Amino acid sequence: MQHSEPVDPGLSPLLRATGLGKSFPGVQALSGVNFDLFAGEVHCLIGENGAGKSTLVKILAGVQEADAGTFEVNGKAMSFANPQDSQAAGVACIFQELAVVDGLSVSENILLGDEPGRFGFFDSKAADVLAQDLLDSIGFSELRADQPARDLSAAQRQAVMIAKALRQNARVIIMDEPTSPLEEAEVRKLFKVIDRLRAAGKGIIYVSHKMREIDELGDRITVFKDGHRVGTVTRGAATPEDLVRMMVGRKLDTLFPARDSQPGAPTLEVRGLSNPHIRNIDLTVRRNEILGIAGLVGSGRTEMLRAIFGADRVSSGTVTVENAPVPLNSIPAAIEAGIAMVPEERRSAGIVPVLSVADNTAIIWDQYVNRRAHDGPRSDAIQKIIEMLGVRTASVTQSISALSGGNQQKVVVGKWLLSQTRVLLLDEPTRGVDVGAKKEIYQIIHDLAEQGLAVVFVSSELPELLGLADRIVVMNGGEIVGGLSGDATEEQVIELSMLHAATPILTGEHP
Amino acid sequence: MSDVATPHSTAGMGQKFLSNRNMVLTAATLAVLVLMCGVFATLTDRFLTVSNFQNVMRNAAPVIIASCGMTTVMIARGLDLSVGSVLAASSVIAGSLAVAGVPLYLAFLLAVLFGAAVGAVNGVIIAGLAVSPIIVTLGMLNIARGAAYLISPSAILVGLPSGWSFLGTAKVLGLPMPIVIAGIVVAVFYVMTSYTTFGKRIYAIGGNEEAARLSGINIKRTLLWLYVMCGMTAALAGVVLSSRVGSGDPNIGVGFELQVIAAIIIGGTSLSGGEGRILGTVIGALIIGVLANGLNLAGVEPFWQFVAQGLVLIVAIIVDRLVQDGVLKMRKGA
Repeated sequence: MQHSEPVDPGLSPLLRATGLGKSFPGVQALSGVNFDLFAGEVHCLIGENGAGKSTLVKILAGVQEADAGTFEVNGKAMSFANPQDSQAAGVACIFQELAVVDGLSVSENILLGDEPGRFGFFDSKAADVLAQDLLDSIGFSELRADQPARDLSAAQRQAVMIAKALRQNARVIIMDEPTSPLEEAEVRKLFKVIDRLRAAGKGIIYVSHKMREIDELGDRITVFKDGHRVGTVTRGAATPEDLVRMMVGRKLDTLFPARDSQPGAPTLEVRGLSNPHIRNIDLTVRRNEILGIAGLVGSGRTEMLRAIFGADRVSSGTVTVENAPVPLNSIPAAIEAGIAMVPEERRSAGIVPVLSVADNTAIIWDQYVNRRAHDGPRSDAIQKIIEMLGVRTASVTQSISALSGGNQQKVVVGKWLLSQTRVLLLDEPTRGVDVGAKKEIYQIIHDLAEQGLAVVFVSSELPELLGLADRIVVMNGGEIVGGLSGDATEEQVIELSMLHAATPILTGEHP
Repeated sequence: MSDVATPHSTAGMGQKFLSNRNMVLTAATLAVLVLMCGVFATLTDRFLTVSNFQNVMRNAAPVIIASCGMTTVMIARGLDLSVGSVLAASSVIAGSLAVAGVPLYLAFLLAVLFGAAVGAVNGVIIAGLAVSPIIVTLGMLNIARGAAYLISPSAILVGLPSGWSFLGTAKVLGLPMPIVIAGIVVAVFYVMTSYTTFGKRIYAIGGNEEAARLSGINIKRTLLWLYVMCGMTAALAGVVLSSRVGSGDPNIGVGFELQVIAAIIIGGTSLSGGEGRILGTVIGALIIGVLANGLNLAGVEPFWQFVAQGLVLIVAIIVDRLVQDGVLKMRKGA
């Protein structure tokens, strides 16, 4: 099944990309990828987080430019250097964050950039007629062209974007996780729209994590892994289990130190924690334990950590640390109780870029341990952390911005070690650091657990999660959908996070 | 997500909803204006007279004129702090040219073109280099003010030709000239924002810049034009104002930008862009004008007027915030 090409070879594809490559500092996001799309087919892209499917989509949308490779549209070579190129080539994107302007009407949104009218005047009657025709053609007649976009639901916004794509004469329509903000009935409706588009000879690229949808929609399915195309299969040629097997199978690196100690008494206990993003979270993390949190982007992992740390409001639930209840919705209270968090966005939320390495290291100490900074103890404490974690810096007085990502991250972890931290929440702690620094950070996490901390570790990289964690909890749609032991396989984790489809929680009016 | 189940029930109401929402917001600001007029009318019997209303409008005209350009900039999520200084520079440029014997209409025209040039510089730096409009136009505020003093160091210009005051004091069909000019500017900007393709694109840029970009709109060029127009209206306001006060004066218009911004915010233009109405801005300018005039007639110390103006601005911003957060729901059935 590696390279089945099911479509009549005499038929020329709508879109063909050959030898696509794209690298970011430290990462080869896409390498030697060939991809084609025929008129009247739905071509699904699947793969783990970071497998390369989003990069491919962004390149086709002209949002990112490929380093290598060529594109053909209807047999003609085309450039995809920017969104305008891609639009001119007939490619339209229905992104997750929908590009709808609230202040305009439905028809004004659909026709934006290509408005009817003369002498610069906007012909709103003609616009409404044009837009209504497009909406009717995709079965969204109940949407009125002169309705304000402000009050539209996520599904209706998608319809507006699809109508806009049709207005632009798009022949290739890319949908990136289109069902994630939708309810079941809306999903059915979207699938009907997709059927209409397929029947009208459009080519549809459909990115999803949900096997059920891929099974139902995909005429062909291309699997990505580590920036490579693993293979393309036709409908029915592979079971969901086959596809999962194609997505995984990376070698485990020998980056992970062996664990000695056994988990002790419960340190962190979370019961029934809920807010608009997470539902009924129960969690127990013990002394000396590393608990890995798996789940797709948007599954509520970050939101769960933020709720425990008091950074996001919770509507119900309890958090206790060593049997003492922690007041909710307060970061200072969480810190006083010994909870520490290393956030996902290091640059914007982890470090204070204008401050020195020393001031960043002591930022918790200064506020919670010793408000009247005594130079002696303070600089001793800083020095101890710098040495313990092996932060490589010319001097502690230098700006933290000058340090590498890995060394910055060590400081972000280290600042918590100067207070009475008992629970360490880590959100993607190795994102954007190089392999050498990753190994050091693994060692630090391991050592801290050995010393008695309870560690909660969120990561999108399954190998590091499986390599480091004693136990894994999988999240999906804001809920915990299962738990696995630390020697689970990647297949087991992926099956839980993808195949087990929980209903997504919907938040606010504009998801 | 409950919207999904209800499109049929809301369709009829949604039909004219855009204008409904705007009408409700405009009516609310208008109500505030009427209320204020009522209060002042009871405080002093000199307030509710035709000549006093003409007086208020004439005084408000420069703010209204400059606010039109600034409203479009702010709808596109920009800001121009230099309008007060541009107004002063335009005043002394027109005055100096007139003193030097340049025909008046040409002096006025060149002053307005100067405003366009300043706006172009603002626009090129802000749009072209993606720099914060606050900082760029704050710099321009100082530059233009400095230029005004450099052109006319001796403060007030003397020796102006006799026709100088025409734009400020003449009457057309019984209406003072400043009101007529403000009316024309308002009409032009109202049509532009409500009925033209360019107008729709301003809202799109302010409301969702990424959507506008993906729709193929040239954002930089649009922003550039908005700043040019903003500079022009500020300079036109300067010409009208100095014509009315009978001189070119580098000292005028200190703090003018705050009055303009206050008028716009009070008028319902959102600080976060994507929303705003020219007519709302006009009402906002009149609220500020009535406030100054009424307090004056009621014998309140002039310094209190600053306090009152500041309070009105802060209240308006809080209301803007609440509307944005959806606390004051301007939704179905509004």
